Amino acid sequence: MNRITPVALFLVIIIAAVGTFAYFVSPSSGSSSQTSSSYNSTMEITLYANANGWNYNSTHPNPTLYAKTHVLLEFKIIEQDNFPHTFTINPGPNESQSNAFINVNIPAIPGTVVWVNWSFSSPGLYTYWCVVHPETMVGQLIINSSANSSSSPSVIQGSNLGNGSTVNSVEYWAHEEF
Amino acid sequence: MNFSFELAIFGSTIAVLIIMGFLLYFFVQDYRKSLLSKEMETAPKEQANAYLSRIRRELSFSAFIMDDSKSIGIRYLITSLAFFFIAGLAGVGMRISLWYPNPSYLTPIQYNILLTEHGTLMLYGWATGSILGLGYYLLPSLLKIKKDSLGVLNSIMYWFFAVGGLLLIFSKSTASWYFYYPLTDQLTQAGGGQFSFAALIGVLFILTATCVASIIFLKMIFLDRDEKIRISSMSLFVWSIVATAILIISSAPISMIADGMVIYDLINPIYFTGANSTALGYAIMFWFWGHPIVYVAVIPAFGLIYELLPKYVGKPVYSYSSGVIALLLLMIFSGTVWGHHLFNSGLGTLWDMIFSTTSFIVAIPSAITVFNWIATIWSGKVKLTLPMMFILNAIVDFIIGGVTGVMQSDVGVNALIHGTYWVTAHFHFILLGVTTGMAFAAIYVLFPTFTGGRRYNSAMGKLHFYLTAGGTYVMTIPWALGGFEGMPRRVAGYFGIFQSYQDAAAIGGVILGIGQLIFLINFVYSAYKPVTISNDNILEEASS
Ligand code: HEM
Ligand code: HEM
Ligand SMILES: [Cu+2]
Repeated sequence: MNRITPVALFLVIIIAAVGTFAYFVSPSSGSSSQTSSSYNSTMEITLYANANGWNYNSTHPNPTLYAKTHVLLEFKIIEQDNFPHTFTINPGPNESQSNAFINVNIPAIPGTVVWVNWSFSSPGLYTYWCVVHPETMVGQLIINSSANSSSSPSVIQGSNLGNGSTVNSVEYWAHEEF
Repeated sequence: MNFSFELAIFGSTIAVLIIMGFLLYFFVQDYRKSLLSKEMETAPKEQANAYLSRIRRELSFSAFIMDDSKSIGIRYLITSLAFFFIAGLAGVGMRISLWYPNPSYLTPIQYNILLTEHGTLMLYGWATGSILGLGYYLLPSLLKIKKDSLGVLNSIMYWFFAVGGLLLIFSKSTASWYFYYPLTDQLTQAGGGQFSFAALIGVLFILTATCVASIIFLKMIFLDRDEKIRISSMSLFVWSIVATAILIISSAPISMIADGMVIYDLINPIYFTGANSTALGYAIMFWFWGHPIVYVAVIPAFGLIYELLPKYVGKPVYSYSSGVIALLLLMIFSGTVWGHHLFNSGLGTLWDMIFSTTSFIVAIPSAITVFNWIATIWSGKVKLTLPMMFILNAIVDFIIGGVTGVMQSDVGVNALIHGTYWVTAHFHFILLGVTTGMAFAAIYVLFPTFTGGRRYNSAMGKLHFYLTAGGTYVMTIPWALGGFEGMPRRVAGYFGIFQSYQDAAAIGGVILGIGQLIFLINFVYSAYKPVTISNDNILEEASS
């Protein structure tokens, strides 16, 4: 047996195992390192995935959404038109796929509901859009800092337990701009 | 003319690579010539390769350039061992992160990446790869094959396998080893799932290699073997490869078609989530192969037990014919039970009853096999060597795994334990105890051959055994208990009431990890000891 075969085998295996582990847990390049932050209340926002606009049947096909930091935004996205869509959010006023920190595919069966939950830690202007229809499906999301942001982690109970238990401070304010 | 530094570096790198390639090629040709006997040096490649695959062969990286069957086997063994350590580290990583109920050092997305890589690499990389490796390595000597053709095809298929594994790793998919649509299609912020299509292509590559290798195994067994070996006296390991190969060829293509359709769905969803199709369609096509692959992972291990047990007991297998019949029955029945993975998916009560019944029937050939082993042990006197310890542990683990399997095949019980750690415990008993344990037993048996006449350090080997066997129990028994109370699997965090189970399992996982590290250290340490014994081994029989 060749003198270097056993050591080479050992090194190859160890380096492969440790290297791939580091690769698996590393954030991938291109996507921002943002993570969903802690939250102390939740808010539900309904959007329709439709090639003509995120809320095509309303007077505001692509509403500007207002929300606060440290609020868990529960985006309820309903497929409407048999076309594939994505729900994508990136910071800034313009669409940018490389800065997107949310990029979720919506299956093309009308009626499919996809939930996307996110809580922002920093206030600012964000863009939500669809990668497949960047011209017609794009809107703005404005995050203001919350006045009383307590950092204590809160456990949110499911609001649909059906046993009459209500959830603290669930707020529904998907404002629209006029 | 101005001098371009980059171009100079680029040019000289290419030149050095070409020269190194040539050198490597000539070194390997030299090595190959040194293995061949005088009259074989001028023989046609088919015969020279057949000669090379019948002699005792050491582990060598030259195998990556030679294309006789034994070299292909060595390639698969080295690669699958690397996949085992990659996937094992991912498994231990998940276990440690589950120490606390809330996701600790792994975010849920990172956890899902590790979960997917662990499942796919263990099943496709390690279980399948080590079986292909042992098949290619052992079949030529067990069958004394007359010719070894198709070396180029074997070699290409090996590279399919290796590249498939790399694609799985680089995909960082979060879709779990099922690749259910639309989960496959979800893009997540850590990049998980972004390249699920690459993982699917990787699976397709590996399955292609597996199917082609299976056909080549059948060709080797039925066409190329020495005439003196009659079908009715082929060794039981060969029979187990027959069963495995037929099982692979008859079920993997269905899943490959489904994978291809999902890849198309990623671009234009029409097959499994289109307006008039169902996601269940994919699940059915996947499990048509998803169940057989778990038997692909154990049947060759059964063959190894049949092969090694008599050598350590001193008596032939209690009943050869019932051994063959049980292996073939396992092959047939395990093609009919895939529905037991879909009891809660709405196949309908009638189908559930049918699959429940067929799953119970699988217990019969499994029991024949186990009783055959027990009778063999009973009839002789046990020599408790290291491989024998792995065998005994494998038998116990298979009994536990089989009983838990039959339990969860009851439709009612299944509704309780489906999606819990009970299932994870069921298959880790078998995949760790039988598949992995027997692969290690075979490596220990082949160690003198691999290293050209060296003996492994038996104290370290025993430690490896005790940590592996003990770690398996410490990890899987809490899983089974917690699972029966509803501890969900595949989650990065859990309810606090399950913490004691999860912590116990975490300790087991760390023990397992340390055990495998000791195996690796032992392997390298012992390979540098002086040559003390012959390079023969009991698996390939003394006379060649
Ligand atoms: C006596 C024979 C066996 C029976 C009756 C049996 C039964 C079952 C059943 C009913 C399930 C589905 C549990 C659920 O998800 O609700 C299952 C899952 C599984 N079994 Fe078995 N099993 C047997 C043997 C084996 C063997 C020998 C292996 C592997 C070497 C194995 C590996 C697996 C795996 C990997 C899964 C889980 C797949 C997954 O969901 O990821 N089983 N088994
Ligand atoms: C080195 C020791 C091992 C450790 C520490 C380990 C640990 C784990 C853990 C923590 C999970 C995830 C459980 C969950 O969240 O549901 C898992 C799943 C799994 N393991 Fe292992 N495991 C080991 C060995 C193996 C082996 C040898 C195989 C197969 C040959 C295997 C096959 C699987 C499969 C198929 C899954 C299911 C993946 C999925 O649900 O998608 N594991 N293992
Ligand atoms: Cu199954």
